[in-house]
Amino acid sequence: MKLPKVRELTEALKALITGPYTSKFPKKPHIAHPNFRGQPVFNPDKCVGCLACEYVCPAEAIGHEDIKDPKNPRRVMIHYTDTCIFCGCCEAACIADNEGIKLSNEWDLAFFDRSQAQETIEKELLLCEICGEPVACKDHLKWIAERLGELSYSSPTLYLSRLKELGIIDDNIIAASRDYSRSDRVKILCARHRRETTLSTK
Amino acid sequence: MAKSVVPIGPFHPLQEEPEFFTLTVDGETVVDIDVNIGYNHRGIEKLSERKSFDQSTFVIERICGICSTSHPFAYTRAVEDIIQVKPPERAEYIRTIIAEGERIHSHLLWLGLAGHFLGYNTVYMWVWKLREEILDVMEILSGNRNSYAMFKPGGVRRDIKSEDIPGVIKKIDSIVPTLNRLKKAVLDDPVLHARLKGIGILTYEDAIDYSALGPTARASGVAKDVRKDDPYGAYDKVDWDMIVTKTGDVFEKVVVRVLETYESIKIMKHCLLNLPEGDIDLNIKDIPPGEGIGTAEAPRGETFHYVRSDGTNRPARHKVRAPTFMNLPTCKATVVGETVSDATIILASIDPCYCCTERTAVRDTRGKRLYAAKELIRLSQQKTAQIKRKMGLK
Repeated sequence: MKLPKVRELTEALKALITGPYTSKFPKKPHIAHPNFRGQPVFNPDKCVGCLACEYVCPAEAIGHEDIKDPKNPRRVMIHYTDTCIFCGCCEAACIADNEGIKLSNEWDLAFFDRSQAQETIEKELLLCEICGEPVACKDHLKWIAERLGELSYSSPTLYLSRLKELGIIDDNIIAASRDYSRSDRVKILCARHRRETTLSTK
Repeated sequence: MAKSVVPIGPFHPLQEEPEFFTLTVDGETVVDIDVNIGYNHRGIEKLSERKSFDQSTFVIERICGICSTSHPFAYTRAVEDIIQVKPPERAEYIRTIIAEGERIHSHLLWLGLAGHFLGYNTVYMWVWKLREEILDVMEILSGNRNSYAMFKPGGVRRDIKSEDIPGVIKKIDSIVPTLNRLKKAVLDDPVLHARLKGIGILTYEDAIDYSALGPTARASGVAKDVRKDDPYGAYDKVDWDMIVTKTGDVFEKVVVRVLETYESIKIMKHCLLNLPEGDIDLNIKDIPPGEGIGTAEAPRGETFHYVRSDGTNRPARHKVRAPTFMNLPTCKATVVGETVSDATIILASIDPCYCCTERTAVRDTRGKRLYAAKELIRLSQQKTAQIKRKMGLK
């Protein structure tokens, strides 16, 4: 039984020279492998606010809040870092070339206050001119219009929002009235009011 | 001497199958054991029915932290059974690589903890150091050390980059010399022979009667392995051996697990070197009504999943059976007649959820004495020390 002792002794000597196997973590920051799946981060320039990530998220870690303020309507995209499981479904489902939300290498997510455990970005929202309910994010409509090409002229919401964006049409055009009629079809409308103005006999 | 009751359990909230053992002891000898399960019911099956087929994979993955591949593997196979499709070959290979990586780290984890229970803390530290390399490999391949999120019905979610493969193979090779040394140290150690041989024997007949699975059955001579019996993934394209031993005592269970680690390394390396080109995903859109079953060989035995679809995007019924559910009752055949100090390692030898045994309390029928889990582990470690003294070591 001398041999095991020699074996252990060499291991001990080796450890003396090379130092412990464990890393000196708090002093020396840990850098994750490039393949590591870390916290997903929104890219405010690429994200179009389509909510595909919220729909696929298995942990319900992505949410949104629509602020329907007529002066500054906006959609707040929220990522709850405490419930996120870093699976990457959001990145895979992202319609903006998988760049609207991307997994980063960030792993150091400890916090003291749970309300800090969220990341938000804001997207400009378009409201229905009749009821004031959100139609979609401006970037999302732009994204759809770009892909539809000339077909986007079949939807007044699409081309009006696009023309407004480009500053081609006058801002003073009359908004749809609350007491809508069939003539209000060519306005920026939500799905429900598009249907109702079309079917209206007024 | 009066008979005492030794309750072990009931649960640890992190574990897959919380268990509660009531040992009836006469002095030092266990005369009866009663196993209770069903604590900490998490409603995973119901949760899975609330999620879509793709999202369910992640719920299923979280049934167990250690075998977080075998459950999604069985689940995706069940869903593919409904649609009657086979995933692309590259996806099959990637699945096999991840499943074997998991088996290596699970077996090493068990070996380390078994060493700790027996009072061999050097083994514990060495093995967990080895396991760290495998976890690093998993991080490179899947992006996470655990809960790999690689599976989806119809394929895998992440490809293995060809430039990562040489580094991964080097890392896997680097653990082999240490594993060899460890194998020699563990399997040739006279103290371990004296401590583990002949205790907790599960005979061939008992293993069949109790329908034991995985390494527990294979240690008793029952050649049972889903990977061989009903080949899935890339297991039929790789040359590997099923490890079967005869006696079924705790020592043989250690042997089976150590040798299986080598086989897993072999399979993993073969798959990495012969990774076929092609798609990794079938992009399944609709799942027709129907039912399917899927099985996978987890590190502990066969995992079984049943999924029924009613044509919507959510499973109408999802049934999960984990291997420990079948292995747990074998304690009745193995623990009775042994001493309390051996009970810890015998109960642990089926590789159940470990933390269960760590929440252990010992008390006699009058309820006067109360020991904690530490006490049972100490008893177990003391016995090893005693054997060492008897053999003239130390």
